[in-house]
Amino acid sequence: MANLLELVDIQKSFRMGNAVVQILAGASLTIAEGEFVALVGASGSGKSTLLHIAGTLDRPDSGAVIFKGQDMARAGRFERHRFRNANIGFVFQLYHLLPELNVLENTLLPAMVAAPWYKALIRARPGKALAVQMLEEMGLGGRLKHRPNELSGGERQRAAIARALVNTPSLLLADEPTGNLDPRTGQSIIDVLVRRRQQGAYTMLLVTHDTAIAKLADRVVRLEDGKITAA
Amino acid sequence: MYKLFLCFRYLTRKGIVIFPVLAVWLCVSMLIVVYSIMTGFVDRVRDAGKELMGDVVIQSTLASGFPHYHGLQKSLAHLPCVAATAPLISTYGIMNLPEYQTSAEVQVLGIKPAEQSRVSSFGKSLFWQYRAPLDAANDLGGVRFPTTAAKLIAWGRTRLDAALKTYQQHQQAVSKLKPIKGHGWIADIQRHWQVIKREDYRQAQYHMDRVYRDLRFVEKLPPGMSIQSDAQLRAVLIPRAPTFKPPAVALTHYPSAAAAPKNGCVVGIDIGLYSRDRFGHYHRPPGVRFSPVILTVVPITLKSTLASPQSRRFEIIDDSRTKVFTVDRHTVYAPFHVVQKMAFMQQQDLLSGGVRPARCSEIEIRVHHDQNQAAVNRARDQIAAAVRRFTLNHPAMEISGLSVMTWLQEQSQFIAAVDKERDLITFLLGMMSMVVIIVIFLIFFMIVRDKTRDIGIIKAIGGSEMGVGSIFVLYGLLISGAGTLLGVVTGTLFVIHDNWIHDDILWRIFGITIWNRRVYIFSRIPDQVSPHTVLVIAGLAILAGLLGAIVPAMIAASRDPVHALRYE
Ligand SMILES: Nc1ncnc2c1ncn2[C@@H]1O[C@H](COP(=O)(O)OP(=O)(O)OP(=O)(O)O)[C@@H](O)[C@H]1O
Ligand SMILES: [Mg+2]
Repeated sequence: MANLLELVDIQKSFRMGNAVVQILAGASLTIAEGEFVALVGASGSGKSTLLHIAGTLDRPDSGAVIFKGQDMARAGRFERHRFRNANIGFVFQLYHLLPELNVLENTLLPAMVAAPWYKALIRARPGKALAVQMLEEMGLGGRLKHRPNELSGGERQRAAIARALVNTPSLLLADEPTGNLDPRTGQSIIDVLVRRRQQGAYTMLLVTHDTAIAKLADRVVRLEDGKITAA
Repeated sequence: MYKLFLCFRYLTRKGIVIFPVLAVWLCVSMLIVVYSIMTGFVDRVRDAGKELMGDVVIQSTLASGFPHYHGLQKSLAHLPCVAATAPLISTYGIMNLPEYQTSAEVQVLGIKPAEQSRVSSFGKSLFWQYRAPLDAANDLGGVRFPTTAAKLIAWGRTRLDAALKTYQQHQQAVSKLKPIKGHGWIADIQRHWQVIKREDYRQAQYHMDRVYRDLRFVEKLPPGMSIQSDAQLRAVLIPRAPTFKPPAVALTHYPSAAAAPKNGCVVGIDIGLYSRDRFGHYHRPPGVRFSPVILTVVPITLKSTLASPQSRRFEIIDDSRTKVFTVDRHTVYAPFHVVQKMAFMQQQDLLSGGVRPARCSEIEIRVHHDQNQAAVNRARDQIAAAVRRFTLNHPAMEISGLSVMTWLQEQSQFIAAVDKERDLITFLLGMMSMVVIIVIFLIFFMIVRDKTRDIGIIKAIGGSEMGVGSIFVLYGLLISGAGTLLGVVTGTLFVIHDNWIHDDILWRIFGITIWNRRVYIFSRIPDQVSPHTVLVIAGLAILAGLLGAIVPAMIAASRDPVHALRYE
């Protein structure tokens, strides 16, 4: 199977006061198309940082982020935004929904970012059919007009997943999506992600501390001392 | 597209935006109100100033005036730009009213009324000879031209009936008033209402009198006559050119024709003989018209010494309202030749033989196309050249120090003062309105800080720096746009209805008078809003919104998404 994403020798350091802390020291990871990879590691080891770099939200100090043969680490700013919008879906531990928008509007936001401005004039809602369908399948059909603060944690995370998937990305990056949920709800979230993957055929890189969840993955990798090792 | 969408959501779901909207709203409506009213005021002062005199004025620096004015007038008449000319004598004197036992210092203007009316608005400023016939219907509201005299009479009668009815209602209300005893604010309010009722009664009476007077004039028209326009109607009602000759009825004021003064004169309306009510209407006591006046003038000799004072009796036949207060307050108009003699400016035989030619103080000129100030300025230059040529042939005129000025130059100090006043006040208010920028800046700064996480999210789903920045810029535009819209609507409504607000709300309910019509020259508060003003103020307000939002928007755009997402 072809490689979807190659992280090659990623270096990333942060300045903390006077000291410079090397978080990623030559981390390399290759993910094949359609693969489900779980990333584990101690807290503070740099998992989120790696995920952000993989999703072009952050730039590495050095190294390459090769997506379908193209190095996104060296791409221009505008290109990276466009790329991220079309190809990457993010799911965060803290859901990160916009509080002023209702569930449906939150879900549609990436589709709106993609749409040209004049679509607003004709009041078209690109992706609406898909969004409604996904939300209904996730059991949020009756909650489309609710604001995030009216939902439970599990419901919020499902809305966030629907948002991540509305532009049918090829890579889903999930950063401890169950970290804030009780085990049962967490399991249902993972179920949604796995089931959706079978329909949507996206590749998934999932950060987790939960070994039970990691077991569901095709492959588990560990981040340790700034490097990726097989677990 | 998401930018606009997010803006709307932020606008409708964040309560704090009410404050910048409110600030913009208040500033915009305040600026529109102040600028419009001040501009209306300046325009009226300017119009009154322009109508007051000829477009171009030839004056002498000498108090004894200049000679050969007749010849000069004739030679000016050949200039293609000149429409009409009129000589004028200006001198100072004392006006004494024996029947009222008062005197006042006045400027005495000797004019030829018909000629003067062709160069200035003198004819139209006269009450009995111009405005009285259609006073109540001054703007002839409700009359559609062309019409017939019969229709006009019918219209006048319905107006009179209506006026009579309101008059009777108010009369009844006033007759029921009982004196209020007691103190305290309840009694004060009751007293205030009584004042209003009496005032209404007086207004109804005043209005009825005016309609009645109009009707008397209109009823003299042959009923079948067709009238094409307001101007034609006035021409029919007022067939004569303005004159100082007393009408036949004037004799009723005097025991015999021999006792009546030979000459009529016209007094400025604010000279102190009439009272003004709180609506700015003038109330003319019946005895003032046709009462005698003694004007005393001190002539000035050619050597600029004072000769013995000259007094003459005149008869007040009319009053003039130019709407320039100093003029209406201090001017008496009298026949040209009479004043010329009183001021020793008539043709005189000299002891040394020969004659000293007649003199005048000014020649006022109306030019063609006088609505266009550039045309007036050009005409002034042509007239100045003609005057120079004329003086070369008349050496006696050289020492008179003739100056040729346009009305604007002549009144520049006065008009420039009100102009500057308006600009100053607008500027100060504009500076105060800068606060809007700061309010928007501060609130946006707060919002951007508050929305740090959202900014991270938007970038995580592919929003660009430009996109995030433009959300906040658009947001600022929407806020200032909303405030501007509200401000334009309320400001414009306020200006259009300012007279009503002033009279029927401020005064009627709260007993407050700001625009004191007893004092101000103009009885109506200016109530015009120019689209140009609105556009400029709205544009500035939106610009202010943009300025206030731009820095926070740039901060938002440059937020590092990774950092923003860690924000909890
Ligand atoms: N912008 C930054 N500036 C300074 N230090 C940072 C920055 N971002 C991350 N770090 C540091 O880098 C290290 C790795 O952070 P990261 O969030 O990637 O860890 P993690 O593996 O995701 O941990 P967790 O499991 O707790 O989420 C941490 O020590 C963190 O303090
Ligand atoms: Mg993390």
